[in-house]
Parts: sequence; structure tokens; C-alpha cells
Amino acid sequence: MSAVATHLEQGHAATHDAHAHHDHAHHSVSFIRKYIFSTDHKQIAKQFLTSSLFFLLVGGAFALFIRWQIAYPGEPIPVVGKWLPDTLVSSGAVQPGFYTQLVTMHATVMIFFVIIPMATGAFANFCIPLMIGTDDMAMPTINMISFWLVPVAGLTIMSGFFVEGGTAAAGWTNYPPLSASGTGHMLWVIGIFLVGFSSILGGMNYLATVLNKRAKGMRMFDLPLTVWALFITSVLQVLGTPVLASAASLLFVDQVFHAGIFIPENLLTPTGGLFPSGANVGSGGGGQPVLFQHLFWFYSHPAVYIMILPIMGVVSDVLATFARKAIFGYKAMVFAVMAIAFLGFVVWGHHMFLSGMSPLLGTTFMLSTIVIAVPSSIKIFNWLGTIWKGNIHFTTPNLNALGFISTFVCGGLSGVFMAIGPIDVYIHDTYFIVAHIHYVLFGGALFGIFAGIYYWYPKMFGKMYNETLGKFHFALTFITFNLCFFPMHMIGVGGHMRRIHDPYVYEFLKPFQPINQFITIFAILMGFSQLILIFNFLWSLKFGRPAPRNPWRANTLEWAAPAHPGHGNFDRDITVYRGPYEFASPESKRDYLPQWIRPAHIEKEEVVAAEKH
Amino acid sequence: MFDFSWNMLTYFPPGISTYSKALDDLFILVYWISVAIFLLVQITLVTFIFKYRTRPGHKSIYYHGNNVVEFIWTLAPTVLFAGLGLYSDEMWKVMKYSSRVPSPDVEIDVVGQAFNWHARYPGADGILGKRHARYRTAQNLFGIDPTDPKGKDDIVLTGEFNLPMNKNIVVHLSSVDVLHSYFLPNFRIKQDAVPGSWIDVWFNGTKAGKYELACAELCGSGHYAMRGVLNLQSDADFAVWMDAKNAAKKAVLAAEAANPQAAAPVPAAPVAAEHGSSH
Repeated sequence: MSAVATHLEQGHAATHDAHAHHDHAHHSVSFIRKYIFSTDHKQIAKQFLTSSLFFLLVGGAFALFIRWQIAYPGEPIPVVGKWLPDTLVSSGAVQPGFYTQLVTMHATVMIFFVIIPMATGAFANFCIPLMIGTDDMAMPTINMISFWLVPVAGLTIMSGFFVEGGTAAAGWTNYPPLSASGTGHMLWVIGIFLVGFSSILGGMNYLATVLNKRAKGMRMFDLPLTVWALFITSVLQVLGTPVLASAASLLFVDQVFHAGIFIPENLLTPTGGLFPSGANVGSGGGGQPVLFQHLFWFYSHPAVYIMILPIMGVVSDVLATFARKAIFGYKAMVFAVMAIAFLGFVVWGHHMFLSGMSPLLGTTFMLSTIVIAVPSSIKIFNWLGTIWKGNIHFTTPNLNALGFISTFVCGGLSGVFMAIGPIDVYIHDTYFIVAHIHYVLFGGALFGIFAGIYYWYPKMFGKMYNETLGKFHFALTFITFNLCFFPMHMIGVGGHMRRIHDPYVYEFLKPFQPINQFITIFAILMGFSQLILIFNFLWSLKFGRPAPRNPWRANTLEWAAPAHPGHGNFDRDITVYRGPYEFASPESKRDYLPQWIRPAHIEKEEVVAAEKH
Repeated sequence: MFDFSWNMLTYFPPGISTYSKALDDLFILVYWISVAIFLLVQITLVTFIFKYRTRPGHKSIYYHGNNVVEFIWTLAPTVLFAGLGLYSDEMWKVMKYSSRVPSPDVEIDVVGQAFNWHARYPGADGILGKRHARYRTAQNLFGIDPTDPKGKDDIVLTGEFNLPMNKNIVVHLSSVDVLHSYFLPNFRIKQDAVPGSWIDVWFNGTKAGKYELACAELCGSGHYAMRGVLNLQSDADFAVWMDAKNAAKKAVLAAEAANPQAAAPVPAAPVAAEHGSSH
């Protein structure tokens, strides 16, 4: 039924699978409907992927400007410095105001326009329908809207660079009162509101799709862990993001109508005048800036899991496939994801240990936060259990997945430090936090994202990527990543604050300049290493060797689809007979047994289905 | 190339408050637990990668997991991490619970203003005058109640502050514009300065010297330069310094009394003045 509805909505005549295949060869969809306003989940996934890779380069460039300034304050930015306008740079060197804009936009771009759209846009769109054996999302038009909100939101926020006073500069957390004035902050709030709705629409769609459109015979516990993780992440998106939207709306009301929701009574502006706020009228009451922090982190802590859970799913699938072994404790993995998601909603206060909230509440948040280490440990141990007695192939996706485990352990452990309130008092807002967030979101999420991009590249584009370049990209990124971010722990322990334009104003930070220069050198090398990924991506599109249907000899349903699946995805009926991780099963002579192979036809169909192009 | 150690414990700035040692010890405990877990996982990972690498004739086993093992590696981290949380709570209570704040020897008000720190000392009478946000202007940052005689002799300083050592110092902290964060690295204390709220911070320094005060919360383009200096002195030195400040203030007040026109006009009496501390 739903298949029919989907096709009608897209203006296709095909009403059943046989037709769909025929249709794929001959249908004439306009260029705009096919490549721009497409409702095909695979095309939308590619759009998310492309926009995220674009924003990755933009956010990365911002990071390099930041690093340059911290390492060599006051010296002109090499090459690009002389092209930037005088409002941003003075004789080529980053100005303090521009610096705060850079730290704000680097994080905003990386979080809202790279990692979240990559994890819950690109992978969710590509994987969910294919991995559950269906033709498309439950709501393809909503899916299309969910993508197009992203570039609109991105342009809205970026346009801040061209307004008076510059773009948002209050950090990605955008705390009022600092963020309660200025056109740039207003644009930021509008952009975040829009990108939030992209997230909500996507999440709804994924929930509906997983619940209603699974292939015949597929139970919830037959879902690959990628789909499980995306499913639970969708719950977080649907429940959490409206709270961010409410925080953004209230801040907007403060910015435009001076309602004073977050602005206390009789507040001065940074220039010494009185803050235009309703609270200044009369003597009573006034707003509370900490309220914004509660609303913001009620979303933004779960958002950390929105960024990492899907990636944990991807890593699980990649590891199992290339270790040729079943996931160790599949159900434990699912329950661990559920536990992380649930705990994710009751720990937001650990971002606010210093906000002056009740210390008793602090104790509560400290204990709930530290307990998150438990499901995270379970996941690490189960991944180790998965590769134990496996037959590990060192393909590029697997190298990235193994790299993910290695760095995620480090990021997880540094998280324990900040979960402990008294230690957080000291390391809060220092480079220790910066090191932690990058170990989790770059070392964790981005290595997992690379694993996923390489793993599904053949199915996405019908071509194989270049393995040598892939391995080279991984090796360079892994080494430069660790040399760039690990020393940040050290200067963090030394008390080095974040978001400071020139650290050497402080006597106690002067000895850290050589370490900052060391970090910057590896940040630059790491940044330029990403060009290998971009080159490999584009070169393989044109010159890559054609991909077989199931290049990794994997078990999940996406590999049952044609090498470069067209509209409707599958060229035959899909029925699921077993779980997703039947590697080295005694039932089969081969070391894998796909979900879709009929038990009676194991020996016969395997060859035909899995290895023929 | 330069002094660099992979042991991050060597990077702490010297700790000079009564609880800095206990806090560093807690950090060191968590650090070594983390190092142990880190090595355990990384060594296992590398061993497995090497031992189970693909090679001709090597096969993986068919295995879906083991509930006993799952149970053990769920229980072990639960005990470890929950225990660590409960253990550290004591330190949290010492620093934060108002019931555990020792009786103050010296109380001052501190406010952040982009991009400076200001402090208010109680003056010759030893009592901070009442304050309320409604009195706040760019000239009266603390919102000192002009009708309260106890506030007349209060002394306001910017940027550099003297305080006595071996004394329990309670700072009532707030901000007049945006969020700031009061960070004394050597004292291991940091607290957000939240406009509209007065939050108490306490510390007790044990070594005389000049220590840097930083702003740790992004407060605008000049955030990086919002630096102050805390000059921790012996009792005797502090008394000399304070007496000099009080004498200077007394002279100013006497001059104002002699020439009332020069003094600022007193605004209408407020409905309900209060000492604005939220505690």
C-alpha cells in the first residue's frame, strides 16, 4: 500500500515492483525533480552528504583561522589574510571580534551543518529504506523539505557575515544576555530554528518508516544496529529539538520585542548603557539568563547523542562485516543505545555546574552523568568482543571504525573528568573541554562518518573508491588528529581558557605558546589531509571501478539491491529470514549468510544473489 | 623543541588554596583510573587487531555473545563509576554546599563588566551597604543603596584586588551586563557571574603573592583581555593597605560633606531596599 502511495506522490505511473524496475530504465523525470527537488531517499542522502562535506570544508577553514591566531597572535593569516576586509582583520591578522565570530561559526557549522546532517540526514536517508528492504521513506515529500531547510538555514546564518556588527559571536551555545542583541544573533536564531525543524521532520519520518515499512519477516530485533541507532536517535530528535526551537523562539522575542525573558532587571549593555528590556519598566521581576541554559542544554546534551549514536551503529555494522563475525551481544548493544538515549535526557545540568544552580541538583546531575559511562563501556567491550576471534580485514571503512574505537575511548574517559562536579569546576571552559569534545565529535563521530562514507560509497554511486588513497587518508588523519588534539588536554590542565583571542595576555599561559604552535601545525596538516577524501570521492565517481552488488560480502538488505539502485531500490521481493549478523554461520559454507536468502536455497542463491553484479 | 611532557599532571599551575591539594588529588585519582582503562582497552584492541588479522586459512568463529560476560562488564563499570561519583561528592559539598562554607573572615562583592572585574570592600565600618539592581547605573555598578549609611564608606576597586592570606574569603559574585566567569587558576575555583543573581564563592589562600584572575566565559570581543590580579597578602600587609584605602575614602567623604553641591543628588527613597544576596 505504502509503496503505491509513494509512487503516486512522485508522479510515477508504476504501481508495483515489476513496473518499478521497468520504469527505472525509461522514466523521464525532469532534471529538477531528479537532482534538486527529488523525493528519492538516496538522492536526498547524497544532497545531505554533499552539503555536509561542503560545510565541513567551511567549518574546517574557520578552525584553521582560529588555530593560526592562537599560535601566532597578531601575525597575518597566510595566503588568505590579505583578502579579508578590514572589519575582520587588521593588516591580515584576526581581530578580537572576528575571533569570537570564528569560534561561534566553527562550532555552529560543524555541529548543526556537518555532523547532525551527516549522521541523521545522509546516513539515515540512505540506510534506513535500503536496510529495512523498502522502496523509500514513509513520507518522501517531508523528507525533501527536511533537506532543503538545511541550505536555507545555513545561508541564513552565514549571511550574518555581511550584516552590520557581523555574524553571531556568543559561542555556539549563544547564551543571553550577550546574544540578546545584534542582527547576527537574530539570524543565528532563525537559522537554528529552521535547521531544528529539518531535524524534527527527519526524525518523524525515520520513526514512521522503521515502524511501518520493514520488509516481510523483519522483526525489530532483525534490524541492523545502524537502523536501531538511527531509530532511537530519531526519538531524541523528535523529543529534544522542539525544546531548542522554544529556546530559540524565546530568545528571538527578547531580541526583537525586548521582552526581557532572559534579561534581568536594570542590566547594562557592554557599552555601559541600559539594556533595552521590558524588565526595565517598573521595578519588579526581570528575566533569568540561566533559564536559556536549561532549555538549550535540555536539547543540546541529547544532541551530543544525536551526533554519536548513529555513528556507533555504523561502526558496529562495519566492524562485524570486516571481522566476519557476529556482533557480540546484539541485544545488549540495542539496550545500551536505549540507556544512553534515556540518560541523555537527565544529565543536561552537567554543562551548568558553574551556573550557580543548587549544589544538591549538581550532585544529582553528577551521578546521572557518570552513569552514562556504563552503557558506553558496554558498547566498547562488545566491539572488542566482536573483533575477538574474528578474521579482520583492513579495508578503509574498517580502519576508520577501529580508529573510532580508539579515539572514542579517550573521549569517553576525559568525559568522566567533567562529569565529576568538583573537577569540572577547574577544567570547565578550558582546553580540556575542547580536547574532549573533539575526541568525541571528531575522533568519534567523524571517523565513524568516514567509515560510513567509504562503506556505502559503492552502493551510493555504483563505483568503488580508491582503497590506497582511502588508507592514506585514514593514516594521515589519525596521526595528525591525535597530535593536534591530545596536547589540548595538557594546556587544559594548565588552565588555558577556551575562546580567547590572545592567550598570552595572561602570564600563566605564556609558556603554552610552543604547544599551541605544535597543535596548529598538526591542525593545518589534518585540514589539508581531508582534500585526499574529497579528491578520492570525486575521482572515483568518474574513474572508480564499477561496484559489484555486494562488494563487502555483507549480510544486510542494502546489499541485495542492484549495484547502483534506481528508483524503488530493489529488483525483487525481499523477505527476511534471519538476523543481520550471521557471519561464519555453520548453515553456510561461506563466511556470511545474508538476511534475504531463503533457507532452502542457501547454497544456490548465495552465489547468484550476492556475487553477481 | 620545547618543554613537553605526556604526563598531563605536570601542567597544573601551583595550587595555593586550602582545597587545591584535595582537588588535585581527586583529579590524579581519576587520571590514573582513566590511564588504566585507556591502556587496557587500547592494548586489547591492538592485540586483537594483530592476532585476528586476516591471512590465508584464518577463519572467524560463529559466536553471538555471552550473557555472563555481559553481566560482568555491566556490573564492573557500574560499581567503579558510581563509586567514583559518590566518592567525589564530598569534594563537591566542600566547595559548593552553603552549609559547608566556613564562616567568612572577609566578605566582598565582585561584579564582572565587559571587560573588567570590580570589587566592593566594606570600608571602615566593616559592613557592606545594602544594594539592589534598581540603583544600578554605569557610575554605581554595584547598585549601592544611596540611603543606607553603611554603604557610604564602601570602597570600589577595579582590576587589582588585595586580600589577606589564611582567611576564609567569601565573594558575592554577580555581573552587570553579560555572563562572565570568575576563574582563579591557582585557587582551583571558577564560578559563573550571572547577571541578576548573587552567587557565593569561597576560598582560602595559603601563600602570599600576585595571582591572575581570568574571565572564563565568552563575554564579547574583549573577553580575552578581561584579566585581573589578586594580591594575596599577610594580615599585617593587608591591614596597612586597607587602612590606607579607608583613609583615602574618608577624605573623599569629608570633602563631599563640606561641599554638598558636588555630591551626587540622592534619588527618591526606594519602596523596599534589600541586601540583594540571593543566598
